[in-house]
Amino acid sequence: MTDVSVALNCPACGGAISVAEGVDTVVCSYCSSTLFIEGDRGVTTIAFRNRLSKQRAVDASRRWWSKGWKARDLKRAGKIVEVYPIYLPFWRATTRVAGWICGYEIRRHTDSKGRVHEQKVPKEVMVLRDYQFSEIAADPGDLGIRSLRNFSGETSFADFDMIPTFEATNSRDDAVAHAKQEAISRARSSAGIPRVTMERLHIFPRRLSMVYYPVWVVRYEYRERMYLTTVDGVTGMLLSGRAPGDPLFQSLAITAGSSVGGLLAALGIMLSTVRAEVAFGGILAGLAVLYLTYRFFRHGSEIIEGDFRHKPASMSQTVKEFQDIARTLQGDYR
Amino acid sequence: MASTKCPKCAAPVTFDTGTKFVKCSYCESQIFIDRSGAGFYYAVPFSVAEADAIGLFKRWAAGPARAKDLDKHAQIAGIRKQYFPVYMFKRDVKGREEVLVEPAGSTTLPGLHKLRIPAGDIKIFDEGFDIGGAELVKPDIEMLSYMDSLPGKAKEQALVYFPIWRMDYVFDQKRFEVVIDASTGEIFSANFPARSSTAYMVVAAAGFVAFALEGLLALSSLAVAASLMALTVVGIFAASYYVARRL
Amino acid sequence: MKVVQVRCPSCNSPIYSKQRDRLFYCDKCNVIHVRDGGVDKIDFEIGEFKSEPREERVYVPFWRLYCSFVIRSKRVEGGHVFRLVSWMRGEDGSGTLFIYIPAADLDTAMFKRLAVEFTLSSPKYNTRLNFGSTPRMPTVISRDEAKELADFVVVTMEAEKPGVLQRLDYSLIVNSTKMIYLPFGIGPGGMVPAF
Repeated sequence: MTDVSVALNCPACGGAISVAEGVDTVVCSYCSSTLFIEGDRGVTTIAFRNRLSKQRAVDASRRWWSKGWKARDLKRAGKIVEVYPIYLPFWRATTRVAGWICGYEIRRHTDSKGRVHEQKVPKEVMVLRDYQFSEIAADPGDLGIRSLRNFSGETSFADFDMIPTFEATNSRDDAVAHAKQEAISRARSSAGIPRVTMERLHIFPRRLSMVYYPVWVVRYEYRERMYLTTVDGVTGMLLSGRAPGDPLFQSLAITAGSSVGGLLAALGIMLSTVRAEVAFGGILAGLAVLYLTYRFFRHGSEIIEGDFRHKPASMSQTVKEFQDIARTLQGDYR
Repeated sequence: MASTKCPKCAAPVTFDTGTKFVKCSYCESQIFIDRSGAGFYYAVPFSVAEADAIGLFKRWAAGPARAKDLDKHAQIAGIRKQYFPVYMFKRDVKGREEVLVEPAGSTTLPGLHKLRIPAGDIKIFDEGFDIGGAELVKPDIEMLSYMDSLPGKAKEQALVYFPIWRMDYVFDQKRFEVVIDASTGEIFSANFPARSSTAYMVVAAAGFVAFALEGLLALSSLAVAASLMALTVVGIFAASYYVARRL
Repeated sequence: MKVVQVRCPSCNSPIYSKQRDRLFYCDKCNVIHVRDGGVDKIDFEIGEFKSEPREERVYVPFWRLYCSFVIRSKRVEGGHVFRLVSWMRGEDGSGTLFIYIPAADLDTAMFKRLAVEFTLSSPKYNTRLNFGSTPRMPTVISRDEAKELADFVVVTMEAEKPGVLQRLDYSLIVNSTKMIYLPFGIGPGGMVPAF
């Protein structure tokens, strides 16, 4: 393997030069010629400094144990086995979207005589915004992390030799393509035009960098089972985790859900003498409540936080899914 | 750590997996590592020990999709520590970077639908690398056999060994297999004893229908309906608690 | 990866510049070139400052695109005036115009303001041959990106008129591009044109 090393010299004066990843031009420090890097020049790389102690990572995980509907004896029976920091690689891209979306919305209103009127409200919305995107640059496995939630903090490579660094294995151009897709769909949802008659959007990838982000992995044992949580090494927030659930909470949920749901349906049917749609609405609302609580009843024996590949549903997860949909519709997610 | 010679002063220079630029510690010159022409051997270290692997399996077995109490009743029949090989190719296809992962052997892993390299602190695999007693699954397809048919120009190619625990267990007199990714702890399984949702659905549906009917009954007789509802609450709670614990 | 010295494609003299810029300016023979894949000379023009400097001076790069424009059909709701025709030279929904695209790294609001303002009324300025000692802002928008942005500017001007735009079927052909360095002053209130 002697042929892998290539010396970097100034082609003008022969002096040694120093090239940072991701730049396309450098100035020779000897003869001050402007030099241009052709071909693969890599991407700008930054690392965030870890700000968490081992104890704070453990505390964050323990705090999470006592929140929500997890096993009641988790605080007693849970035993922390191993705590260690890692650096995870993320692609971070800024994408500018410039364009217009035109279309209309149909509004319905009922007048005093009970007649329904349809009104077409034309709309034109300009989109001119920079969107931030991030995506893990390796296969996340069972870490439950897919994107960055925090973009600020002290950047330094000081901890780089001490903390195991996970390698980037995903293609950077795939990440750019995902960033473009996401920017377009966020631009569309921020415009909020239900019926589009014209759409002219242009996407410009602005910046791409590789971010190494410190994450603490906390492994713990509960009744011979091994669970894992991850904690943000900059903000100290819990990023992802699994924890045992409790059958008591599962059965309380379905008892409450089936009673409230059933009574809502009954109420709807009783009021159907006023208007037929009420019965329909009541039954639908009742079934929705039943469905939410059923999912927790069925899958609540394991509580999950974070972005896992196979994400079974827990109550808070389902509520979050609905919130996410609502937020995406408002266009301000992430 | 791999090693190469400094093109200026010929001193040995070491570099790690993801490194693009290194500085020679003798003459201080900056060196670019060009991986396009060489094949590398990489390996991801084990971060899950045997006891942890069993613990992870039990957590997975106790999950809601698995048969009730699988974690308690599954008999572990065997566990093997292995390094599983795959090829990773980084190509430049018309200016676009593409990463392709291809099989290095005819053996496949159950439950791993798409071949991939789990996240990990990838190290250069040489004499100095400690495999920790793991069995190396030998690649039986050569790297070169892919090189000609791949699109674009080479940027980097490597044989990557990733760490797994292969486990066999017996449940209800049947044998099953799981693979535990020993870097992030992810569990792969093609088939496993599954838990039926029927009992859960029956309880939920029964509760809903009972309350809906009792709600309607309240129109004619509030007292009867209320007492029936109280009974149903107790009944549903007891039934669902039993289902959640036992079924 | 390969490191090459940046030399002027016209007079072959090396270029010395401290700032990072897509465009390389040769002060020996007054030629600008770009290196996106290959080496391309760029046609450019420098505007003269109108008055004596009161504030910090800077040159802001703009791509000026000379475009032909054909509107095939349009639909606007609620508005009755279709103004696009009025500012274009030509009739029957077709004509030619200059579109100005700021090429420096500006925030989105500033970008839009300058683009629309200058395209609606082309800036009038005297030209000069070199930059003198005035610094110039680096160019971050490529010529190809400028062509896409021209499309955005056209729709913007059309949409920002009375009435709600519903459909605009048109074609925009870029006949030629030129880099224009326009003089600006940086005062307490931000960047203001100084030509």
